[in-house]
Amino acid sequence: MNSILWIELVVGIIVSFTLLGIFIWGAKQGQFDDSKKMMNGLLNDSTEDLQDAVKKDEKVKELKANKKEKIKNS
Amino acid sequence: MSKVVPCSHCHLEFDESVMIKEVDNEELNFCCNGCQGVYHLLKDDGLDSFYEKLGKNTLAKPLAVGSDSSNFDMDSFTERYIKKTDEGFNRVDLIIEGIHCAACIWLNEKVLNETAGIVEVNINFTNNKAKIIWDEDIIKLSQIIDKIRSIGYNAYPYNRTDSEMKATKNKKDFFLRMSIAIFASMNIMMIDVAKYTGYFSGIDAEMLRIIHMAEFIFASPVLFYSGWIFFRGAYYGLKNKIINMDFLVSAGSTLTYIYSLYVLFGGAGDSYFDSVAMIITFVLIGKYLEVLGKKSAVDTMDKIKSQIPLEATIILNEEKKVVSLDEIKIDDIIEVKTGEKASVDGEVISGFSSFDESSISGESLPVAKKIGDKIFSGTINTESVIRYKASKNYANSTLNHIVELLEDSLNSKPKIEDTTQEMSKYFSIMILSLALATFAGWFFYEGSFETSLIVGISVIIIACPCALALATPIASLIGISWLTREGLLFKEAKYIETFAKIDAIVFDKTGTLTTGKLSVKNMPLSLSKEELNLLYSLSDSSIHPVSIAVKEYLERSFKDLKHLELENIEQIPALGIQALYNDTVIYGGRLDNNIEYKTTIYHFTINNKLLATFELEDKLREDAIDTIKYFKNENIKTVLCSGDNDFTVSKIAKEVGVDHYNAKMSPIAKADYIKSLRDKGQKVVMVGDGINDSLALSRADISIAMGNGADIAIAVSDIVILNDQLSGIQKSYHISKRTFKFIKQNLMISLIYNIVTIPIAMAGFIIPLAAALSMSLSSLLVVGNSLRIDNKK
Repeated sequence: MNSILWIELVVGIIVSFTLLGIFIWGAKQGQFDDSKKMMNGLLNDSTEDLQDAVKKDEKVKELKANKKEKIKNS
Repeated sequence: MSKVVPCSHCHLEFDESVMIKEVDNEELNFCCNGCQGVYHLLKDDGLDSFYEKLGKNTLAKPLAVGSDSSNFDMDSFTERYIKKTDEGFNRVDLIIEGIHCAACIWLNEKVLNETAGIVEVNINFTNNKAKIIWDEDIIKLSQIIDKIRSIGYNAYPYNRTDSEMKATKNKKDFFLRMSIAIFASMNIMMIDVAKYTGYFSGIDAEMLRIIHMAEFIFASPVLFYSGWIFFRGAYYGLKNKIINMDFLVSAGSTLTYIYSLYVLFGGAGDSYFDSVAMIITFVLIGKYLEVLGKKSAVDTMDKIKSQIPLEATIILNEEKKVVSLDEIKIDDIIEVKTGEKASVDGEVISGFSSFDESSISGESLPVAKKIGDKIFSGTINTESVIRYKASKNYANSTLNHIVELLEDSLNSKPKIEDTTQEMSKYFSIMILSLALATFAGWFFYEGSFETSLIVGISVIIIACPCALALATPIASLIGISWLTREGLLFKEAKYIETFAKIDAIVFDKTGTLTTGKLSVKNMPLSLSKEELNLLYSLSDSSIHPVSIAVKEYLERSFKDLKHLELENIEQIPALGIQALYNDTVIYGGRLDNNIEYKTTIYHFTINNKLLATFELEDKLREDAIDTIKYFKNENIKTVLCSGDNDFTVSKIAKEVGVDHYNAKMSPIAKADYIKSLRDKGQKVVMVGDGINDSLALSRADISIAMGNGADIAIAVSDIVILNDQLSGIQKSYHISKRTFKFIKQNLMISLIYNIVTIPIAMAGFIIPLAAALSMSLSSLLVVGNSLRIDNKK
């Protein structure tokens, strides 16, 4: 009985510390810097918003590539 | 009967008769052209899902921005505000004006992200600051600003200072430490339930060891990572020969942790890892709230600085030259166009206009300026182009002076008294001494080091100031939620205690004791229907506060007023408005600029024949007299401070019955007055609403802003009366006083608990179960007592 508890304890702690690690990573990325925006994150959670995020990523990639080339040429 | 309908864009409600109507699949109502324009722009660009996200929230009307955005492309601007990123893009930091809800953020970010050339947009909802990175080869900053303005918002640049970056970093650091502490404490609390239930149902030693091991794993990061700041604080305290709160928190928790380790790895007794985690977590949450307060002071300063004009037009050898503010010298000739802000102080040398001096005097009525009159920096030219000679450089000008003083005040806000903190300092020193004495006593009589150490530490543990730590926060929380329900926003819980102890309350006049809006007092002449219609049409042609008041008076007093088509409508600077109607010259305003009126007068003439004279006044708020009476009954000194003239201020002072009044006060004089009261040892509350009050607000022990006040006044205030009613101040005081009464009761309860239990612990009679139960009981007593606060009897 107690040996099962020991295993549960170890597994439980590994899982909770992994989740805590993910949270710390998010916080260090600045995802929780803006408390008000964070609380309203649900509003920007539609398919349309996801598509926008993908489009934005592509646009930024293209802009960065063009800029790099321009700097190289000059 | 007319009904009230919401605007399809901003959702503000207006009478149906004044709305611009449109039918497009559904009936649309707009309160102004600005809202109509933005609505269609969003619809055409496929951004109408904004309204779904907006929900029932309301927006401010779209901001009509007169100044030219090309300023943003000038070299002086680039040099000051634009930075290059490592990848070669441009970066600017802006403060976006007009943001009210998450939908506003979504809209701005979406519109900008879809604009070609913009690499990154990030708008912070909490402080409305935006970071924008763009490719200058594709788009100019002025075009980005125009884009923001086109959807009804406005943007000002600001410089990210070192203090802001430091405050942000500090906030993030505390947030992480606090999150980890809360995470671990919550886990420990869950495990605790099993532990304490185990005491009743019989728990075997091996199971208890597993539980203690789990608590040890969770409590360790709390003490060494989250609690690190207490060790740091204690070290710097000791270095300066001070025993501070940090020392006591770190010493208490480390001793408890070491004792628990001893129990876990073989010793007898019970471990107290839960107490270690709880103490650190509770104190850390309090510290995090303090850090948040400091960060918002930095954000407030940035908002204020972004209002300062960037450059001025000076006349050099009959040519106009745009220079930055630092380049302006005394005796330079400066030109100020309509809508622009004066950059430095000076004296008018040509032209005739009116200036909005609300940032200096708090009065919304523009002040006429003729040759020889003084101009103050930061005031806005509202009528026509004027030239003036600089009498001071920028560094010595009024605006800069106020900004500098405000920065000083915000960085050194009066220290808020906190009874609990004061008490826990003495309490902790006493407990540490008692523990030490217990250890020494037991060691002397028993001779066993182990037993003496355990009994000594048990004194610290039994005295775990749970009830003391909860005494203030629980009562404050209940007080604050009651206040919030009444529309009274306290920015921090600690203001409750200070407010409950005030000696004097200082009120601003315009917008605080009075409504801040002019209204017609009397109209002695009778006019024909045709004349009334002419007067109505004329007053409707100007946005001057006096014209608006006359128009509103006519709308209220007469029915079926007709709008007549006036021609050649012309503003006569500092006097009034003139127009033609079928060759008839109609005029409304003052007749002679040289007469100094004691009240505001509006004359109406047709072909130079005087037909009506209106006297206007700023009305007292309905609850002003009651509020003053209430504070006088509470033996609190009431004072009125205003930038207005002596005649008006004394009249209002007499009407409301304040103990004392001061007229013609500049923002600095108001602040000095507050300081003089505080120097006498009085606790002072300042109530204001305007930019001119912000300095005085920042100097008071407690500052209260009316909900409709200027952004800056609200930003520097500790309490905001959201419903804009003076009775809210009475209610705030009443609730604060009642909450503070309960805080004192709670402190008493926790003290009595300690007086009873500590001697028992010192005698070595405390068993773990008794300790756990009595600790919970004292906390429950404190919580239960606090719940009685909003029991409104």
